[in-house]
Amino acid sequence: MSRADLAAGKVIRMSLLFRVQHLLLTVLLTVLAVTGFALMYHENFLARWIIELEGGVHSRGIVHRTAAVLLMANLVYHAFYMLLSREGKPELRQLFIGRQDIDDFLQSLRYNLGMAKEYPRFGKYGYKEKFQYWGASVGVVLISVTGIMLWAEEFSMLFFPKVVLDLAIIIHGYQGLLAFAVLFLWHLYNVHLHPSVFPMNPSWITGKVSAEWLREEHPLEYEKLKGEGLL
Amino acid sequence: MIRNYLAAALAVAALFLTVPAGAATPGVGECMDCHGDKTIEKTLPNGQTVSLYVDLQAYRSSVHGGNTCVTCHADAKAPHEKLQKVSCGKCHGDSEKSYAMSSHGIMRAKGVTDVPACHDCHGMHDIRKPQDPADRTFRLNIVATCLRCHKERALEERYPHLPDHKMLAAYEQSVHGMASKKSGLMGSAVCVDCHGNHAILPGDQPRSATHRQNIPTLCGKCHPGILEQYEKSVHGKGMRGGIAESPVCTDCHGEHTIAKVHDPSSAVSSRNIPKTCSGCHDKEAISTRYALPKKRFSSYMDSFHGIAVEYGMTKAANCSSCHGVHDILPSADPASTVNKANLPKTCGKCHPNAGPNFAKGDIHVDISPKKAMGVFAVRIFYTIFISALVILFALHVGLELYGRWNRRKEKAPGGKERPS
Repeated sequence: MSRADLAAGKVIRMSLLFRVQHLLLTVLLTVLAVTGFALMYHENFLARWIIELEGGVHSRGIVHRTAAVLLMANLVYHAFYMLLSREGKPELRQLFIGRQDIDDFLQSLRYNLGMAKEYPRFGKYGYKEKFQYWGASVGVVLISVTGIMLWAEEFSMLFFPKVVLDLAIIIHGYQGLLAFAVLFLWHLYNVHLHPSVFPMNPSWITGKVSAEWLREEHPLEYEKLKGEGLL
Repeated sequence: MIRNYLAAALAVAALFLTVPAGAATPGVGECMDCHGDKTIEKTLPNGQTVSLYVDLQAYRSSVHGGNTCVTCHADAKAPHEKLQKVSCGKCHGDSEKSYAMSSHGIMRAKGVTDVPACHDCHGMHDIRKPQDPADRTFRLNIVATCLRCHKERALEERYPHLPDHKMLAAYEQSVHGMASKKSGLMGSAVCVDCHGNHAILPGDQPRSATHRQNIPTLCGKCHPGILEQYEKSVHGKGMRGGIAESPVCTDCHGEHTIAKVHDPSSAVSSRNIPKTCSGCHDKEAISTRYALPKKRFSSYMDSFHGIAVEYGMTKAANCSSCHGVHDILPSADPASTVNKANLPKTCGKCHPNAGPNFAKGDIHVDISPKKAMGVFAVRIFYTIFISALVILFALHVGLELYGRWNRRKEKAPGGKERPS
């Protein structure tokens, strides 16, 4: 953290590498959702229009798979980065879900219902962020596996009866719908519409949040940084 | 004037003297004295004028050119008043008989005058052999001859039971029409090949060549190999067995609009064939009556093959890719391409790796607990899971906003205690 940042009361929350990964994820998931749902709801007029726009069902497939390959590359890179890099390892540790998260969740419910005085004190990642992170990770893995099975259908046919591929199609599609629901409703609410960040949490672009915000929403992280003399 | 007296004298003589009739009949040259004049005409009671000129050259080169005028106009004298109608049936008895049974002949016998008589299709003095390219009934000229009347909207208005004139004219764009008109192929079907010539009847009459019951045999005249396959198919057997709903050639291929299978407008093109087959196979009544599996259309259209074909990837499998074309058999038949034992081979046409293991289970996935429990369960699970999640999100968001609203007067936006 530079002196200028400190003077302006800013704290780094997302390093450049994470921002790049996040941006890739954003763009690729959007492309995948647009091309994917057009196929899933192929009889809908909007889907018809989108498929026409993509130059037919064949080039739609090419766009979808190109985005998928990039997304999987992004995922693999991210996994290695979290497991092996100096920056990633502590991040991963902070993302583990523990008993504390369940307690925090229950306490936030009690607090909002007026049954508790204290709002849970979160570290860098609260239960919302952790749920989001692991949900998306499991989803992307599941959707990648089924996607590869369907892409390499000739190969899959060697091993699986047709019903497995039928299941793969259903899982692939509905997992996509699930991811869409989580990202569109949950994530976008948390980073755009939540009263503490409205209209936007800027960290995905600038990488920085205000120290003030950190103190209110992630007090444990705030105190940790302060303890380390970084604030 | 002298000729008139002469003719009168001859007539009188003929009355009194039993002179052989031939002596009074004029030769061609005598007829041409008057009818060789290009300006000769008569006026009908309605004021219309009709030319009475006969082109001798055309007559001489006609199929009847070796005869004389009186061969047909037996009552012709020189000069003469209105002659009797020429009876072609005097020589062409069979044709007259079959014409009399046709819709044209029946109407004509009732006194309707705007249906064709012999000369309307064959011409009068210039009739040639049908093999002669200059004749109206030459194979490549037939369509123009029939369409002269049948392309007219006026005709359709006068006879409402006739098919749409556009439908009739559509023949010209059909594979048969293009083959004869554009490519000049003699072997292509023209009107009379299907409808017959003198004995033409509407298709709803059992005697008609184009009646449903006669269609396979009719098309088989030129497509015998296909007919042989069809006769062995479930559709062919059904049709021969008297099942009226069993499709004949025209039910899938169309009639006047018949097109090549690769033509996108064809009813049996890869893009259109699902709709064509489901014209019957998506009908509740037909599936129930013949105990056929249901939801064949929707299950296909939702499959990857269906979507690909819908969006123009003609390479993807359509109905006939798996079930066959003219030789379709029920899946229970061991010879059927979709019999369980043959599925690996059938799928293998496009997917070489699809072995017996792959071909287990249903191909058309009807997502219901009875037919595809696994797929059904996964879909239900996801539907419930996603719905529940969305509801929980909404509750969480609502609760959070509710909590903040309650504590809006407190200092921090979240209403949290500030660490001192």
